[in-house]
Amino acid sequence: MTTPTNRLERFALAVLLFILAGVPVALLGYQYFVRLALSPVRVIDITAAAPEAGGFQPDAIRVAAGETVRLRFSVPDVTHGIAIGPGLGIDIGHVDPGQVREVEVTFDRPGRYTVYCSTWCSPNHWRMRGTIEVYDPSQPDALPPSQPPDPALESLAARGINIDAEHPAETIPDTPPSPGRGAEITATHQNTLPADLFNPAWRQQHSPVEAWSMLVAHGMNQPDAWDVVAHLWTSSLQGDRLAQASTLYAKNCAACHGEDGSGTGPGAAVLQAQHALEHSDMPQAGKPTAFADPRIMLGGRSEIYYAKIRRGGMGTGMPGFGQIFTPEESWMLAEYLWRFVFVPAENRP
Amino acid sequence: MTRTRLLTLTPFVILALLVWLVSVPVSNRPVTHNIVMTADQFAFDPPVLRVNQGDTVRLTLQAADVVHGFYLDGYGLNTRIEPGVSRQIEFTADRAGKFRYRCSVSCGSLHPFMIGELVVNPNFPFYRAVGITLITVIAVLVYLRKFPPAPV
Repeated sequence: MTTPTNRLERFALAVLLFILAGVPVALLGYQYFVRLALSPVRVIDITAAAPEAGGFQPDAIRVAAGETVRLRFSVPDVTHGIAIGPGLGIDIGHVDPGQVREVEVTFDRPGRYTVYCSTWCSPNHWRMRGTIEVYDPSQPDALPPSQPPDPALESLAARGINIDAEHPAETIPDTPPSPGRGAEITATHQNTLPADLFNPAWRQQHSPVEAWSMLVAHGMNQPDAWDVVAHLWTSSLQGDRLAQASTLYAKNCAACHGEDGSGTGPGAAVLQAQHALEHSDMPQAGKPTAFADPRIMLGGRSEIYYAKIRRGGMGTGMPGFGQIFTPEESWMLAEYLWRFVFVPAENRP
Repeated sequence: MTRTRLLTLTPFVILALLVWLVSVPVSNRPVTHNIVMTADQFAFDPPVLRVNQGDTVRLTLQAADVVHGFYLDGYGLNTRIEPGVSRQIEFTADRAGKFRYRCSVSCGSLHPFMIGELVVNPNFPFYRAVGITLITVIAVLVYLRKFPPAPV
C-alpha cells in the first residue's frame, strides 16, 4: 500500500540518487565525451610526469599528415618544459603543476617527431621523451620515413675517427686568448694567412690546435696565433644564431654541463652518482665534459662535438639529441661550445 | 620646587641624548651582500638572511633539482628559478622586519613548507636602545627616591 509518506520517501531517494550519480556522470561525461565531441579538432590529453613516475602518457601518438590536433599537457608532479622537435619550433615552455597548457599542431609531412621535456626535472630528465608518428593518410600502414643518414657522421666513420675517444690538446694557451685582438690581427694579415682557415667547412673538420700549429709554422708568434684561432673559431656564430644557440644550451645542456661550461651543473652530481653505481670500473666516464677546459676542448673539432650531440655518448650519461634537434641546431650548439674556451666569461651573454 | 625636580632629571636627559646621537666607531653604513641562494626540494640555502636596513642584497638564485620559485613577502619580488640557469635579483632592504621568502612554483609534496626568512634589522642599533632604556630606569629610580610620592 502506498501512503503519502512512503511516496515522499521514494521521491527523496530519487533526488539523492540523481545527485549522487548525476554529478559524476555529468563531469566525466563532459571531460571524456562532450568536450571531445564539441571540439572541431582531435584533442589529445597528455600527462607529463617525471620518467620514474610514468613520463609522457600516452608516450606514442599517431597522427595523420595534414590533420590538426590539439595537444593538452598537464603535469602531476613538478614543472616540466614541453617542446616538440625536430625542426618544428614548437616550445610551449614551462607547465606548472595545476596548469593545463595546449598547443594546436598540424604535421605537414609524414615522419617521426619527439615530444620532450626541456627543463631539468629529475635525475632521469633526459629519458623524458615521447614519440609522435605522423603517417601518410593514403598509406596508413606504411612505416614513417626514417631520418636520412647524417653526412657528417658518415664522413667521420669513413675516416675512421672515433668520436668516443678523448682528444686532448697537446698544447694550450698560457693566457686566455682574446678573440677581439685576434680579429684585428686577422684583418691586417688577411691576405697572407692560409686560405683554409677562412673556410668554415675546413674549420669544422680541424681542431684549434691544428690551426694554431699551422699559424705558428707560418711564422706567427704563439699568443697571436691563439688570438687568431679564438677569433676564427667564434666568428661563424653571431647575431641571431648566437642567441638561438645560447637558448638551446641553457635549456638542454646547462643542467649538466653548467651554464659556465664547467661541467658542474645541478644534474652533474646526480648523473655521476648514478653512473658510479652502474659502472664502478670507470667512474670518470659519468662526468659531464667541462667545455671551459682548454686541455679537453682544443684537441677536438666541431664535427666531433656535433656527432656527440646528435648520437649521444656511449656508456656515459650524454643523451642523443638527434631526435630533437635539426642538423643546423646541432651545428650551432657545437660551435657555441668554443665560446667557453675562447670568449672571456664577462663577455658571454 | 619644580626647578630642583627638573635639575635632578637634566643629567639623565643629557646622557640619553649622548647615547642616542654620538657616533661610535662601529659603522652601520649600508653594504652590499652578495649571496648565492640555492633552492632544492624542499629548502632554501641559506635558510635565514640577516641584513641591516638600507643594505643592498644581491641574490644569485640557483635551483639544484627541479624548477623552483623565489617569492619575497613584503617586497613583492617573484622570480622563477630553472636548474642550470642562475638568476640575479637585487633589491634594497628598505623595510625593517622579518619577511618570509618562499617557493612560488609548486615543486613537490612538501612545497608549502619551503620557506626561508629575511631578517632586516632596524638601523637604530640595539645597544643604543638598551642604553637609553637603562638611563630612563635609573632616572626614574633616582627621581622617586628624591621626591617620593605623597602617601595615598
